[in-house]
Amino acid sequence: MRRPRSLIPLFFLLPALILLVPFVIYPVLKTIYLSFFLEGKFVGLANYKHVLLSSDIINLDRFPTKSPPWGSLINNVIFIAIHLPSTIFLGLGLALLLKREEVKGSSLIKSIIFLGMVIPMIVGGLITRFLFEKGAGVVPSILGALGIKSLDITWTAFPQTALFAVILGSIWIWTGFSMLMYSAGLASIPRDYYEAALIDGASRFQIFRNVTWPLLKPITIVVVAMTLLWDLKIFDVVYVATGGGPGGASMVLALQMWDYFARELNYNYAAVVAVLLTTLTLIPAMWLIRRRE
Amino acid sequence: MSTKKVLFSLLLIGVLAFSIVASGCISGGGSTSTSSQSPTTKTTTKTETKIQEQVTLKVIGPWSGKELDAFMKVIKAFEAQHPNIKVEYKTYRAEDLATILPLQFESKDTPADVIFMWGWFIKKMGEKGHLMTFNDVINPDEYIPGVLNAVTANGKIYGAPFTAAAKPGFWYRKSFFKKYGLKPPQTWDEFVALLAKIKKIPGIKAPIVSGDSVGWPLSDVTEHFILTFGGAKMQLGLINGSIRFEDPQVKAIFADRLVPLLKAGYFSEPVEWTSAVTSWWKGDYALYFMGTWITGMVDDPNDLGLISLPGCKAMVLAPDYLMVPKYTAHPKEAMELAKFLATEGQRVHVGTNSGKLATWKKVTIDDYWAPMRDVAKIVSNVEAVPDLDDSVGGEWQKTFWDQLKLLWVQPDRLNDVLKTLDDKFPKK
Repeated sequence: MRRPRSLIPLFFLLPALILLVPFVIYPVLKTIYLSFFLEGKFVGLANYKHVLLSSDIINLDRFPTKSPPWGSLINNVIFIAIHLPSTIFLGLGLALLLKREEVKGSSLIKSIIFLGMVIPMIVGGLITRFLFEKGAGVVPSILGALGIKSLDITWTAFPQTALFAVILGSIWIWTGFSMLMYSAGLASIPRDYYEAALIDGASRFQIFRNVTWPLLKPITIVVVAMTLLWDLKIFDVVYVATGGGPGGASMVLALQMWDYFARELNYNYAAVVAVLLTTLTLIPAMWLIRRRE
Repeated sequence: MSTKKVLFSLLLIGVLAFSIVASGCISGGGSTSTSSQSPTTKTTTKTETKIQEQVTLKVIGPWSGKELDAFMKVIKAFEAQHPNIKVEYKTYRAEDLATILPLQFESKDTPADVIFMWGWFIKKMGEKGHLMTFNDVINPDEYIPGVLNAVTANGKIYGAPFTAAAKPGFWYRKSFFKKYGLKPPQTWDEFVALLAKIKKIPGIKAPIVSGDSVGWPLSDVTEHFILTFGGAKMQLGLINGSIRFEDPQVKAIFADRLVPLLKAGYFSEPVEWTSAVTSWWKGDYALYFMGTWITGMVDDPNDLGLISLPGCKAMVLAPDYLMVPKYTAHPKEAMELAKFLATEGQRVHVGTNSGKLATWKKVTIDDYWAPMRDVAKIVSNVEAVPDLDDSVGGEWQKTFWDQLKLLWVQPDRLNDVLKTLDDKFPKK
């Protein structure tokens, strides 16, 4: 016999739905709707064709043989390719290093590293900009002192280095998150497992490979998904540090959307990028939800 | 079944409660007008009249620091003439306003009563019906020719001009030139020779410091080259799209004049423009291309000298425009303030260390702050033209700034830069 469906869960969902419908669902649907129109006329997929074929999004004339700009989508991919593994391994490394009791002041060090996550992203962008400014910034000064004169420049002013400046700045900002997540994960692993492994004669590397890393898998999934989402949505840091320049060399999708929207006042093209961006971010988000289920 | 009944009852109660609260709010709002005959409302009406007399206007502009101090003197002068009006000022960059205002206006709202903004933006918003017009408020004949073009569409004036900045050339410290025995050049060759001489001075990072911001300091320098070697006609042609950047004459200015200087290292890498003022003043650089407002930013304006590129007969005059959105709660007072800013307020402003020039012809040289009088005379002897990127506006403005940043560090990519500028130019 089929059990009658209860309306009670729906009732409890009602307050959330009342907020979600006008503030999330309607704007999402309206954005999708706008992406098919131009100057008030239905144009089908023409806007998508225009945006995707634009050299602002993918510049195959220059990528990969010539210097940037390579297009915002390619820049986002490069961003992910460098930022994602860097923050994961740095975060994990720092969490492992600072877990050990013999490290004095580990809480203070963790707090300092986590500072990047606490400050507003706009401030993070400004710090990034000045970190890589010739004369004022630490990075060009150190590289200059080491004799690498070609990198003793204002990184954000040159197309070859602007994107990397933003990525490195973002690694500093985001590593705190990764480290904190791994620290929490490490704290949840029972000590018995390590003691048993030591009694069995396992080396430090074997313990890490066979005990720590597998048990940190759920944490890694969260860190990977969250970092991917952050990388795809990256906006503030780029906006402040480089404005997407010079010559579009550090342009990313979210900033491209903003430019269409705020500079060109072309809400239809902005909607196309928004839809693309949402689709791309949905992939890791769905993956995360499924893995957690 | 009973659960459903309970649920339905709860929903009904919820809806009823919401209705009661909502109706309470609505009737509450209306009660002020309906109870106007009761004794208590007499007091309320009196208070309302009092409130109407004391109006607070909100003004949004781009200034901060010393520039704001100069502007606030104008506001003080207005408040002294209008004791019933108080003015509150907020600083917003035009780039940020460009993102905020279209949405606010579409929802028939405004963040301020008087807003300073780019001319092209004011025109666009005016055409969309969001702004009050100035046709009956200001007299176009009282302004320098062409200054209202940027804010006029179909005979309607949507913005009023305030004072203007001129972008006359490269500033230098007289004491610096004296110390190293340098002289202002009279020809292009002398100019290049001067740069070469400066580059050899020990401790100099580069002869010319390139101001960096979102990109406008570089566009100002570029426009000075265009005006010197192409003239006002070329600048106006580039603005209205009748001349392309890849046009051989335009390209020649870049290729033969600007790019060789960039390649020779006579321009510095872009440096944040306000910190560039400090570095230049202390002698890290010898020349700085900047608008006339720099006179109010240095310690000793009397030590300032000016070098326009030899042969320059036109210069950019960039007025600050203001608009009054239709959605202001105080249209009469807002227009009163706008009128003051467009007329007598200019007299007050040029008398301060703002480094600005009047667009209202009734302002005389004697009204100017002393260090600006010579500049005002120089500007009055050349043809004033509108700013290129401010006039075109939109996405192209950012592209122009961004491409020039690229050109500054990679002058070999001139062809790419010019092509991008043409490709992205707004289609008619």
